[in-house]
Amino acid sequence: MINVKDLHKSFGKLNILKGVNIEIAKGEVVVVIGPSGSGKSTFLRCLNMLETPTSGEIAFEGDSITDKKHNINLTREKMGMVFQQFNLFPHKTVLQNIMLAPVKVKKVPQAEAEKIALDLLQTVGLADKKDAYPSQLSGGQKQRIAIARALAMQPHVMLFDEPTSALDPEMVGEVLEVMKKLAEGGMTMVIVTHEMGFAREVGDRIVFMDDGQIMEEGTPSQVFGNPKNSRTKDFLSKVL
Amino acid sequence: MNIFETFWEYRSYFGHGIQYTLLLAAIGVVCGFILGLLVSMLRMSRFWLPRFLGTVWVEFLRGTPMLVQLFIIHYGLVSFGIKLTAIESGAITLSINSSAYLAETFRAGIQGVDRGQAEAARSLGMGKGMTMRYIILPQAVKSVLPAIGNEFITIIKESSIVSFIGVTDLMYQAQAVTTITYESLKPLLIIAAIYFVMTFTLSKLLGLFERRLSTDDQR
Repeated sequence: MINVKDLHKSFGKLNILKGVNIEIAKGEVVVVIGPSGSGKSTFLRCLNMLETPTSGEIAFEGDSITDKKHNINLTREKMGMVFQQFNLFPHKTVLQNIMLAPVKVKKVPQAEAEKIALDLLQTVGLADKKDAYPSQLSGGQKQRIAIARALAMQPHVMLFDEPTSALDPEMVGEVLEVMKKLAEGGMTMVIVTHEMGFAREVGDRIVFMDDGQIMEEGTPSQVFGNPKNSRTKDFLSKVL
Repeated sequence: MNIFETFWEYRSYFGHGIQYTLLLAAIGVVCGFILGLLVSMLRMSRFWLPRFLGTVWVEFLRGTPMLVQLFIIHYGLVSFGIKLTAIESGAITLSINSSAYLAETFRAGIQGVDRGQAEAARSLGMGKGMTMRYIILPQAVKSVLPAIGNEFITIIKESSIVSFIGVTDLMYQAQAVTTITYESLKPLLIIAAIYFVMTFTLSKLLGLFERRLSTDDQR
């Protein structure tokens, strides 16, 4: 579904990604772990071209999205993204946040978009918040709304950029719960996270990144249980 | 004759002046707003040429007296065969002058919106234009509303310079009444009061609008 070949990204002289290769299959839950500054967020942001790669190729459902002639907006409709800082639209209500893109971008009729939005709010357990503004919500609620907003476009894949890192500890669980449900429902997901327990439980594949490269990948039991790479071992010994 | 009698006696003069002042201020506000938005976009362009033109526009209009600009447009452009009526010249001057100030205000507001907002909108498949229109601008305008209000008030007051080229606005009418009555202070006090009522009303209206917007979301 997503095919990344020799992805490089540098900011000025700083090389963040130094040749990343990965293939992500439909329905797979890939969890990217690694120390801060290893390039995992940059890698994720390249997948929907929020960062323009310096070189390399990314193909999504057969289309090369790194091609300059490719209309990235069409691809982004099919790739939902959830951010560390939620990035809800503060001037719009919860319902408006969720309905905006379906109505404006996909031209879904208002009534239908509202039905989809209300269903999603039910799924994330926040149906009673539909008329609230983001400022009236807790961090965990904001992130669940952000997930609902991304899902409203009915994406084929969901990208999560450290979705629980900005949350108070007691709110992490409710967000992970929603993500787990999503994974169980068969959604293709790429998740950058520091939640090792969650990675182990929900991930089909764990990718360990360091120094702009994928150092090791495998099933959770392989990577967590029997890491081969010395840097993986070193990292895991610090976080587990 | 006391000041009230003067006002009543020459009410048609002042009434006429109010019409022209309001007309010019309204044109200046509306055109300045739209033009200012366009210029702020130029200033933030990815390409150097529009950025350069935007900067020249802003710096020139901010850095020269509005009276000089008015005279250039009204008397100077004649040598290029462009003959404008006094009202046209006044309206153009007020619009372009306020556009320069508003452009900088908008730019500050737009650049002040968190980058994550645009990223979230783009990640949902919204194009640049849509993101600007639905996500960035509403938040930007809201945050710079007090500064925009300031500029609107400035336009009302500064519109008085159009009397120099013979637009029959409030300022012009005060002078006309002075010519008839040989009273110099009273007509000026009268129009000062009228200007004040206009700007004060506007400032109260904007305050109301601001409060209504901010009840939505306190971040």
